[in-house]
Amino acid sequence: MSVLTGKELRIVGFLCNWCSYGGADTAGVARATQPTDLRIIRVPCSGRVNPLFPLKALLSGADGVLVSGCHPRDCHYSAGNFYARRRLELLKEFLPIIGINPDRFEYTWVSASEGQRWQQVVTAFTDRIHKLGPAPRFKDAEPIYDLPGALTGLVRPLDCGGNPALDELKQQIREALADGHLHCVVGWQQGYDAIHATPLHMRKPEDVDRLIWGPFNIHSTANMITQLIKEAQDAAMVGVKRGDPIPPAKKVGVVVKGCDSKGLVELLQEKLIERDAVEIFAMGCNGTVSTDRILAKIGGAARVSAVSGKGDTLTVTTADGVEHALSMADIAQDKCRACKMPSAKVYDHFAGEPVTVAEDATPEPAAIMAYLDSLTLDQRMGFWKGQMERCIRCHACRNACPMCVCREVCVADSREPHWVTQDDTVTNKFFFQLIHALHLAGRCTGCGECNRACPVGIPVGALKMQTSRIVQRLFDGYQPGTDADAVPPFLGYEVEEKNIPEHHIERA
Amino acid sequence: MRIGVFICHCGSNIAGTVDCAQVAQNAKAFPEVAFATDTMYTCSEPGQDEIVAAVKAHNLDGVVVASCTPRMHEPTFRRTVERAGLNRYMFEMANIREHVSWIGKDKEANTNKATELVRMAVEKLRRNAPLYTKKFDSVKKVLVIGGGVAGIQAALDCADAGIQVVMVERETSIGGKMAKLDKTFPTVDCSSCILGPKMVDVAQHPNITLLTASEVTNVSGYVGNFTVSIKRRATYVDWSKCTGCGLCTEKCPAKKTPDKFNEFMGPTTAINIPFPQAIPKKAAINPDYCRKLKEGKCGVCAKICPTGAINYEMQDEIITEQVGAIVAASGYDLMDWTVYGEYGGGRYPDVITSLQYERLLSAAGPTGGHILRPSDGKEPKSVVFIQCVGSRDRSIGRPYCSGFCCMYTAKQAVLTKDHIPDSQSYVFYMDIRAPGKMYDEFTRRAIEEYGTEYIRGRVSCIQPNGRGQYVVRGVDTLMGKPVEVLADLVVLAVGVEGAKGAGKLAETLHISYDHYGFFMESHCKLRPVETNTAGVFLAGACQGAKDIPSSVAQGSGAAAKVIGLLSKPQLESDPQISVVDIKRCVGCGKCVDVCPFQAITKQSIRGEVKAQVIEAVCQGCGLCVATCPQGAIQLSHFTDNQLLAEVNALCQC
Repeated sequence: MSVLTGKELRIVGFLCNWCSYGGADTAGVARATQPTDLRIIRVPCSGRVNPLFPLKALLSGADGVLVSGCHPRDCHYSAGNFYARRRLELLKEFLPIIGINPDRFEYTWVSASEGQRWQQVVTAFTDRIHKLGPAPRFKDAEPIYDLPGALTGLVRPLDCGGNPALDELKQQIREALADGHLHCVVGWQQGYDAIHATPLHMRKPEDVDRLIWGPFNIHSTANMITQLIKEAQDAAMVGVKRGDPIPPAKKVGVVVKGCDSKGLVELLQEKLIERDAVEIFAMGCNGTVSTDRILAKIGGAARVSAVSGKGDTLTVTTADGVEHALSMADIAQDKCRACKMPSAKVYDHFAGEPVTVAEDATPEPAAIMAYLDSLTLDQRMGFWKGQMERCIRCHACRNACPMCVCREVCVADSREPHWVTQDDTVTNKFFFQLIHALHLAGRCTGCGECNRACPVGIPVGALKMQTSRIVQRLFDGYQPGTDADAVPPFLGYEVEEKNIPEHHIERA
Repeated sequence: MRIGVFICHCGSNIAGTVDCAQVAQNAKAFPEVAFATDTMYTCSEPGQDEIVAAVKAHNLDGVVVASCTPRMHEPTFRRTVERAGLNRYMFEMANIREHVSWIGKDKEANTNKATELVRMAVEKLRRNAPLYTKKFDSVKKVLVIGGGVAGIQAALDCADAGIQVVMVERETSIGGKMAKLDKTFPTVDCSSCILGPKMVDVAQHPNITLLTASEVTNVSGYVGNFTVSIKRRATYVDWSKCTGCGLCTEKCPAKKTPDKFNEFMGPTTAINIPFPQAIPKKAAINPDYCRKLKEGKCGVCAKICPTGAINYEMQDEIITEQVGAIVAASGYDLMDWTVYGEYGGGRYPDVITSLQYERLLSAAGPTGGHILRPSDGKEPKSVVFIQCVGSRDRSIGRPYCSGFCCMYTAKQAVLTKDHIPDSQSYVFYMDIRAPGKMYDEFTRRAIEEYGTEYIRGRVSCIQPNGRGQYVVRGVDTLMGKPVEVLADLVVLAVGVEGAKGAGKLAETLHISYDHYGFFMESHCKLRPVETNTAGVFLAGACQGAKDIPSSVAQGSGAAAKVIGLLSKPQLESDPQISVVDIKRCVGCGKCVDVCPFQAITKQSIRGEVKAQVIEAVCQGCGLCVATCPQGAIQLSHFTDNQLLAEVNALCQC
């Protein structure tokens, strides 16, 4: 539907049935004149408003979106608006990174008795949107295809010399496997050449020989854990008849860097895995590399014959015999450059000495975030449009994510619910990334696997970094995946939120 | 799908600013709309018949009505489509009155907006599915919160209808504010004489369980099956032994205990029976003033009690009750009038509230029914009444009228003259609001027969003159000049607000309340005793300032609703609840964590964990739906796809 040209803008409201919809009725009964732009969608509770609804509206042509519910403490369902407050605040602060002015989205509380206040809210919000004018459309944005070349500064010196405790680690795994209580242990082995590692599933003690540890331990082992636990459970069920007691499954062993352990802890926090279903083998990490950056240095088509590392220098020998001496400072993955937790804090076995980073060391902001922050709102929208044009919807970003446990029932592959359509439009592709980002809000451990997995190099991780920045600010530096007993922020609430202000639209 | 669209004119309410015929014309172009028309009053009998006829004539399987708010007539039209043979949930409503025609005058914009709202309703309806209610049993018992006159009336009416009643009262005796009153307007009959027998009836009724000194601390469950936790405060007296003889109150040495029942007009004892007609007539110890409980020394009451009822070791106790319905009748309190610095802000002993004055008038009060000034115990000869102290005053954020102050002030002026024939009363008022039966006549009597001097205007200040009197300065707006009255006693008609703790009670009951602590009724005119929480009803001044007749009427009204509800053999569940698609559920349990009603549990299906909704407990808020990342749990009638359809109907750039 088109808006009334020249007169109106497209403003969508989500109102809870019990308070704000009633308040809007009260305003109507009192003949409280209001601008005509707003179209109201009735929902049972502000807690029903998935932030993706306003986001979908804003991305598909709404000039403004307003959510209104019962006042805090006065929710018809006692706590729906407390959850809504956290989620809607997240959305509001998320919008600038994708180039949407956060003033175009607002949420507030209006009770059924507050007809007059509803009139003021609608009038003030509509005025605000008219002052902002029609929203820039994603499809019309001027695309930016370039990616910033800057590297994130190092928080500590990285090392590619391997870990002397590797034999100790191997011994621990061999002993555990020999004991027979493990289904398997997952780690890394060399892949088709020396700069490509692939996952290693160790089932027998001799498999452990192939385990590697060093700058190519790139993949997150946390990503595989839910699948392997399922596999262990299925293995235990073999031969069990219906009605028989379900036998206990064997544990799954997992070798972890600091970042992998965060994924495990977050899975534990969300009760997606049980602590006694996993056995964690940990060792200190000195940083991993980006194979893309190595290939860029040695020439993309080069065949690698050998690699050796010493201190900061990684020497890559190509098939033509040329030796390339590369510095870790140039080729390390972005997440390693800012990593403050190179050693797991939750583990069953630890080999060697933990690698530590000074408590007071302050990582630089990620280069991509600094770049996005330097752009105008319109440029950011253009940036994402330009990047997303490359997206082939392979969903590798999702499949690589340790926190994406829905997998085969992901909304991206569903018509029930039909969040993402089959339309091959950039907006549609981008909306999936936004769903992924908001699903990971307060859960993303910053492992960077989504970025790494993207075959066309879209920095999709930046969207999650934005949610992480917001979560840290709203919840006093909360870091997902560091405390197995912490409640993820969007599964809880405080009656008085310290860092979330009341939004008084009507006083604007 | 074949959809019928009906655009209501609502007389001129909608048609005045919306081109209804045009909206109907536009609707014909929407997908799957097979029939569209505009009607004069769709909710009227011919209007509803037209829907039924059209469903049959055009073989419709869904209906959209664009008219008033669904909060008003959705149930009406659902019955209509059911009458036409459709499932009642194959119906959607577009609110083009409250949200369109009544708030904007631009006919073009309104017509366009109405068209879009209809389009949204059509798009949602296209994704509606038939839903079916389930039947469940209800507990034939009602909880009445508050033992004032409204609660008493509700309890007695329910009990007489054969429903078990649990009455919970915060104080040690029922009676509420009415028990504190000396006489009642407009008949000037004795308050205790008309309330007392009802209080006795409550105590003696076989169907009523009376729990005083008790408070509701938690309510869970749903209409027909609430589980209520009630805290029984320790009274330190075993009421099964206490005979109410009062010996303990005579001997208690802690004689400076504040007397809450007497509005702190005099002291009482730490062990106390609030008033002679108290129900239950049992003593209770105020632990803040009892020497035994505070200092461990004393024990006089335990020694004197002939039945050995005193128990200093008594603890608070939590009991649980299962009830099918709840009546909130928690009443009112006076607002904190000390914000008025010009009236002394509480510093002058002879500036008192009207409720304190009632206690001075009462024969059972601290002065034995003699009007004596708190400062020196002398009889006042000049009494000034100030109206609207905390009512109709935006400067302190109290815009509303407290309703009954005009009348009780007239009554108090009359009683003052009765008690002290040579006294003179003055009333500073803004307007006299006396709309009840015999009310205005009564006010005229106060003026004409009792010589009360009514001065229309506000008081700007009260100051002691140093000779034991107070200079009351104000303005007479009818004469247009300042006035000054020398007063021995000043009585403030203090505005009312929801009882202390009303907000917390509302949160416990999951009902709405306003800024002033008054509970919100479901509809201000048509559903005055219902709340937005099914099974919770309102009686008396907890809903808004009310005099005794109105409180009693609403008490009976609430009782009628309870009786109607619980007389049904079984109740029907609302099918608008969450449903789990177990194929999509990965068993992560996030829905379980956030559900405010513990309505979702984890179940194991062939070794796999899946969420399961307990249908009777789910309230349909949809928080779980917004939480589930893969959309495996959906709220029937408000599914993601239905809301997305509404968004997409509006935003398709």
